[in-house]
Amino acid sequence: MRVREKTGRPGGMKRKKGYRKKVSWREQWELMLIMLPAFALIFIFCYIPMYGIVIAFQEYVPGAPMIAFDGSTKWVGLKHFMDFISSRTFPRLIRNTLVLNGLNLLFGFSIPILFALILNEVKLSRYKKIVQTASYLPYFISTVIVAGMVLSFLDTNGLVNTVRKMMGLSVKAFNMDPKAFPAIYTVTNVWKSFGWDSILYLSAMSSIDMNLYEAAKMDGANRAQQMWYITIPSIKPTIMLLLIFAIGGMLGTNTDLILLLYNPATYETADVIGTYVYRDSLLGGRFSFGTAVGLFTSVLNFTLVFIANKVSAKVADYSLW
Amino acid sequence: MAKNTQIKSHVKNGSRAFDVFCVLFCGMVCLVTLYPMYYVFIMSVSAPEAVNSMSVFLFPKGFQLDSYAILFKDSQMWRAYGNTIIYTVSSTLLILITSVLGAYPLTVSGLRGRKFFVTFLLIPMYFGGGLIPSFLLINKLGLYATRWAIILPSAFNIWNMILVRTFFSGLPEELRESARMDGAGHLRILFQIFLPISKAVLAVVSIYSIVGMWNSWFNAQVYLPSVDLQPLQMYLKRVLVQMSVDLSKLNSTEIADAVEKMFSATQLKYSMIIFTTLPIIFTYPFFQKYFIKGVMVGSLKG
Repeated sequence: MRVREKTGRPGGMKRKKGYRKKVSWREQWELMLIMLPAFALIFIFCYIPMYGIVIAFQEYVPGAPMIAFDGSTKWVGLKHFMDFISSRTFPRLIRNTLVLNGLNLLFGFSIPILFALILNEVKLSRYKKIVQTASYLPYFISTVIVAGMVLSFLDTNGLVNTVRKMMGLSVKAFNMDPKAFPAIYTVTNVWKSFGWDSILYLSAMSSIDMNLYEAAKMDGANRAQQMWYITIPSIKPTIMLLLIFAIGGMLGTNTDLILLLYNPATYETADVIGTYVYRDSLLGGRFSFGTAVGLFTSVLNFTLVFIANKVSAKVADYSLW
Repeated sequence: MAKNTQIKSHVKNGSRAFDVFCVLFCGMVCLVTLYPMYYVFIMSVSAPEAVNSMSVFLFPKGFQLDSYAILFKDSQMWRAYGNTIIYTVSSTLLILITSVLGAYPLTVSGLRGRKFFVTFLLIPMYFGGGLIPSFLLINKLGLYATRWAIILPSAFNIWNMILVRTFFSGLPEELRESARMDGAGHLRILFQIFLPISKAVLAVVSIYSIVGMWNSWFNAQVYLPSVDLQPLQMYLKRVLVQMSVDLSKLNSTEIADAVEKMFSATQLKYSMIIFTTLPIIFTYPFFQKYFIKGVMVGSLKG
């Protein structure tokens, strides 16, 4: 059924669909001046570096022009990408990156949801607030301090080993043990961020209509069923959105914590693509190579987001675009 | 009343047990998140003998604040503290300014090229040059080893701009229209009408910025080779992570009964942790107050 819109214009003139009255040029100029500082900064610090990606295809030396038509830039095509993939450290880096990010995805993604679900069930509102506030305290503590605490607690004279001694167990040098690193990293990461990550879910849950629960109870649903059929579907869009982004970061360069917790003894399981680029390329001056590696991971990440989005659209009926 | 029947019907056997489980679970979570900091705190204020013999677990043993007094002698810490305050104040002010100035025009519906500008804003959130091109840029601009290498890149934050834009979009159009009828230019509308009622979102942006800058260290690691300009987290990194700074050197050696009063490096480290985290803990309650509103604004409409 077509709805006729009365625009009340003289002569019955109709408006184009989606037409908005544009501002005067003077106003346009005024508004653009207002935007200028912010957008100029964005251009300089976000867009100009994007242009620097071209050096991934060159043999770049500091001081050389990035684009010149007189042959002063040395183009090497995909050489750096090939070097990276065939290098000795590549398998280790890919494996560690996927393992550590995978663990983070498995635990770091599910625990905030679990925590939010259970906290949501608590009806004592003051207690609930206290617990929630306590849960995101670790987010406010700096990564350096958290790493410092972890290294100290796991030290041979630290809290954990003291308790082990008291229980009759042997003292373990956790900080030097590559086998312990994935667990240490995952636990620290989850501890630091689960409370913060759960805030979004809790907000979404708090806006669920209470009548839905009423109706379900009258139909004989128990608590678990209420959670499964009402609470979880209501936060599904949030979950899918965050999940897609998390998958898109699987080869990510979020290396803050690892850089602080690792040491040469644990490189075997701790060295990831991001930390390798920092050490080898930035500190070692291999700029073209490092940029190529960065580009490689960006492209792969984007592909993952694309695939995850397609899968999500099919399976969970949710997609980003 | 619907509420009363709701509370009454909650009291079913299985339901009760579930409630108890939830409360206990949350209590445990609370302990797990709070204990590490609590442990650091009680270790820092206990008597040195108790700390060195590792006998402090649940409550402080003895009580002293000298371990903090000693930290006051650490001039490197004060310099780093000063640097962090400089960086935090400047970046927060700049972020507030750029977020507001960048967001407002995007909410004027008649802006030409609005879609273009919004896309311009969104692309860097998904795609970037990476560490090395940024490094080369900072070098090229001559900012390396200067404070500007930290301040300028942190003078804006796209996420915050989007947050403010979302908030401004939710303000009633009549405010703007009636101001324009009184002949006000956009700047006046922004500063005299929009800003005064945006306190909540500005508070959220401020707290994000303050906490972000206070805790940041990686940019300083990359761009500030000289200790003089480095922020607090870099100093803490040397003390706590690289352990290339030995705090126990701060102990004075002139006191007669010095040996018992000597604080171990560990205890001084813990005291420093508490001392440098205190300001952030202070922003915490403000955060609680404004935050939930901010998240709702961002997530519901963004």
